Amino acid sequence: MQQALDVVVNSFLAAGLYATMAYGLAVIYGVMRIINLAHAGIMMLGAYTTFTLFTHFSIDPFLSIVVVVPLFFAGGVALYRTVVRRLPRSGSTPSMESLLLLFGVWLVLQNLAYVLWSGDTQSILTSYTLKSVSLLGVRVGVPSLGVFGMSALSLLVLEFVLHRTYLGKAIRAVTQNRDAALLSGVDADRISAVAFGVGTAFAGLAGTLLSTLFAFTPDFGRSFLLKAFCIIVLGGLESVTGVAAGAFVLALLENVTAAYTAVPTSLQDALSFTLLVVTLVVLPQGLPGLSRLAHVRRRG
Amino acid sequence: MTSKRALEAAGMLAVAGALYFAPSFLERGTLNDLWSVALAVVLASSWNLLGGFAGQVSIGYSAFLGIGAYTTVLLALQGTPPVLTLPLGALLAAGFSVIIGYPTFRLRGPYFTIATIGVGEAVRVVASSLSFAGGASGLRMPAGSYDFESNFRSMTLLAVALVWIALAISRSAFGSALSAVRQDIDAAEALGVNSTRLKVTVHALSAALVGLAGGLFAINFQYVSPGSVFDFRLSLTIVLMPIVGGVGTVAGPVLGAILFGWLQLKLLSIPALLSSSLFIYGALLIAVMLFEPKGLLGLVRRLWARRLRRFYIDA
Repeated sequence: MQQALDVVVNSFLAAGLYATMAYGLAVIYGVMRIINLAHAGIMMLGAYTTFTLFTHFSIDPFLSIVVVVPLFFAGGVALYRTVVRRLPRSGSTPSMESLLLLFGVWLVLQNLAYVLWSGDTQSILTSYTLKSVSLLGVRVGVPSLGVFGMSALSLLVLEFVLHRTYLGKAIRAVTQNRDAALLSGVDADRISAVAFGVGTAFAGLAGTLLSTLFAFTPDFGRSFLLKAFCIIVLGGLESVTGVAAGAFVLALLENVTAAYTAVPTSLQDALSFTLLVVTLVVLPQGLPGLSRLAHVRRRG
Repeated sequence: MTSKRALEAAGMLAVAGALYFAPSFLERGTLNDLWSVALAVVLASSWNLLGGFAGQVSIGYSAFLGIGAYTTVLLALQGTPPVLTLPLGALLAAGFSVIIGYPTFRLRGPYFTIATIGVGEAVRVVASSLSFAGGASGLRMPAGSYDFESNFRSMTLLAVALVWIALAISRSAFGSALSAVRQDIDAAEALGVNSTRLKVTVHALSAALVGLAGGLFAINFQYVSPGSVFDFRLSLTIVLMPIVGGVGTVAGPVLGAILFGWLQLKLLSIPALLSSSLFIYGALLIAVMLFEPKGLLGLVRRLWARRLRRFYIDA
């Protein structure tokens, strides 16, 4: 019983972070039909930015979000304006050119980090890194709680922006149908720039949060990129709720296998990949597809 | 047309002959460099069969090189000669490609690409945790298994053979079917092309060739570890070479491989650039995608056409 509670609480905490990580990918895909392979590189850069702020200016990692988010938003907009916009527009499915281009951006970022910070493994050690508190009888690390709090906050803000502001409506409109949005007077190019900025900012935020929990190198982020893909494939791209649900399913699966089976933790990355392929093959529309299917069956 | 083919065949035979006798008149250092370029040509051209001709971009090819390399090491440690371990490695790589091909080829375009990143990662992680394969620290070849000359000849002949295979495929009905799948998979299906079987077949062929190269790789370096053969950077390089050279053509991957081989040798002599060599490759990839999606070969062809035009029209 206690173990089951452990699993649920830990999955819940991990899911917050996973959702933040995946959302950056989802918003860019939704608006532009581009799979941002540079996502992993941006997360890595977020971790290193936080690290630099922490070591040189002794800014608390969680406080560094105030710097990281606007900085990465601006970086994302700049990347869109200088490079991504020049690509031929993707149709309803993402183009190979955009994938490979952003792959190139990822390589450049990764090797920039090797030059700037060397290949050594770094980690951020604060006064509360090793502290833990008791939550529903489960020992939970203070950083994990902070990470969950920040993730939940960011997703709430996002949900508010998407549903209560003009910008959010425009983003959703372009996601649903670009041409119809253009016809209704939405400046799709500007919305794309903003969406790329938001996606990059979320990746940077995820990087900051990851840096408080894990050690990192310039090669950091690849396994998290796969997790993020897995989540958006599971949760669909249409809603923050879907992404959160996908994140929870993945986190639960990871925690359950870690707690109840003999699968070594080193194989965890293979797990998210397996889930990714199984979902893509069995349930190409993800969890929303499943609920739709159940709906049709009940009626039919 | 036939004279062109005869010329090509003669050219390839001449190159193969020169490479066969190269160990007797070239220095060891030059031979080593040639070996590396030949490996690059094999990897780039094999990848191009699936990624270029059929348009299925896979970023998981290190898995096949690794399977070939590990098969050779594991069997050589049991005393099996390379004549048997190399084909077996190729066979296992092909078998593995079929197993992962059936589920992943249901995915199209970028989704397939992402799944292949996952395959590469999963294989590396699993290989690092297998104790009989030496885990993360890898395995060493048994003493006395090293024979540079025969290894050099096998690798360079394999490279020449690959160019020939690519040429033959590009001119066959099989090649036309592959290019139909690349251009419009639904239209190809409607015309009676079994796209899944086609993709699985070409995947298996290219995996087998990469697996062969993997076996030779293991013999040449005498040591394999997950970090050397299942490295993500290796998968990257395999993708970058044909794309920078000219994806979907016969000469493009060879051009890309030679450029990369040369760059690698130049970079290796400058220690400061060594750790960030992928920076240059990344920048190259961005430039190619933005300005010349047909790669170096496309650039050469465009410049050549311009020169011809100047020659005939402006003059």
